[in-house]
Amino acid sequence: MSKTKEHESKEFKTDNDFDPDFFKDIERKSNIWSCIQCGTCTASCESGRWTALKTRTIIRKLTLGDLTVLKDPDIWLCTTCYQCYERCPRDVKPTDVIMELRNYATKLGNISPNHRAVVGYLKNYGHAVPINDEVKQQRKELGLEELPPTLFKFKSEGDTEDIEKIKELLFDLPEEKEKEEEK
Amino acid sequence: MVKEETFAFFLGCIMPNRYPQIEKATKFVMERLGYKILEMEKAACCPAPGVFRSFNKADWMVHAARNIAIAEKMDADILTVCNGCFGTLQEVNKRIKEDETLRLKVNEKLKLLGDYKVNGTITVRHIAEVLGYDIGPWGIEDKIIRKINARVAVHYGCHFLKPTKIREIDSSEKPTIIEEFIEALGVKSIPFKEQLTCCGAGGGVKAYDGNASMTIFSEKMVNIDEVKPDFILDICPFCHLQFETGQDYLNQNQSCNYDYPVIHLSQLTAYCMGMDQEFIGLQYQKMGRDFLFGEKSTEEGV
Repeated sequence: MSKTKEHESKEFKTDNDFDPDFFKDIERKSNIWSCIQCGTCTASCESGRWTALKTRTIIRKLTLGDLTVLKDPDIWLCTTCYQCYERCPRDVKPTDVIMELRNYATKLGNISPNHRAVVGYLKNYGHAVPINDEVKQQRKELGLEELPPTLFKFKSEGDTEDIEKIKELLFDLPEEKEKEEEK
Repeated sequence: MVKEETFAFFLGCIMPNRYPQIEKATKFVMERLGYKILEMEKAACCPAPGVFRSFNKADWMVHAARNIAIAEKMDADILTVCNGCFGTLQEVNKRIKEDETLRLKVNEKLKLLGDYKVNGTITVRHIAEVLGYDIGPWGIEDKIIRKINARVAVHYGCHFLKPTKIREIDSSEKPTIIEEFIEALGVKSIPFKEQLTCCGAGGGVKAYDGNASMTIFSEKMVNIDEVKPDFILDICPFCHLQFETGQDYLNQNQSCNYDYPVIHLSQLTAYCMGMDQEFIGLQYQKMGRDFLFGEKSTEEGV
């Protein structure tokens, strides 16, 4: 298809770790080349109303081959409310585009320390939000088992097989990159 | 064929680990309605659709498929009470059902995690959908022992309804499923400005940038405060957490004075079906600890 050629011939702003299949991939998974820059996404954005997140600009940059979007902290301000996704007249699925961008940003090591911590919780407890003593007590008072029958309970009883495999095989994040300039 | 009237109860993270009262209430409601509720042993985080999908979509699917596989082994549909869990499990389940190539790919990695395999034999449900459509306002009338006379701010959250093409539950611009159901409990939903907007917690924003999350949330609270509801009604423990901790944050940092009780649909329904107020668990919550449903009871209810 000619439109594929067109974007393949673009000179991308280079990044050493850049995955050259990125644009093909994102095109396959979304509909960015249908975007007419109408701005319905930005106008509907519940985060962008208060933050620097400008969905239309992100999609524009993407269609122009501007790789700075992968380092743009604003892509992490999307609450995935799907309002843009629902309202886009061209069926671009901006929420999915942002998700893809985040996946690539993660591959490049652009992940916030807080998000790294959440992944750590999943790997260690099987939960993004682990239990604490106060809630254990509340569970007893309510007549529930002190620990819910989830992976964490089995881990604390010594059955660690599943959680070890999850830890090893899923959500392997790249090492944190050295800070370039910043502050 | 999956077992009828039986659910594999998917707990998720925030409900069992922060708001066990919602877990208690959900079991109470479902069992009183005649459903069999089965525990999903070794289930883990769904994993959250905003956070974990952002890092690695493929792993997000595999981890979700592991949870689905547990329910498939039990031969039961999954019941969730959280928009996040529902968002993840419903979407992944739908995709592995519809796309065989994807299912094979997921299974390939899934087997590395243990004796797990997805076949696409079950359905993932949200309690609001079960109550709103399966039981319905017409069916709950006979099951409740009391109505409460309250005006509430209904918060749908995002992932219960959206993306509408995947969820296929109700309109995302003007849904009525909760309003119609709670009317049968005597509860009136009062519309407020920007009612359907996000609570500001999703997409990993609460962890990534707490200030941004609170800014989005503060507008929500201003709009809710304008109509002075008796309480905020939600259908998602993550929204629940945001409404709880958020009001507290705004009180402490922006000299607000909010004290709106935050109540999950399961808690409200459980109360109307006869669960004692102490098990509704408002005493464990940050906001509206002294709120009593009973104070607003009407005689006509029983």
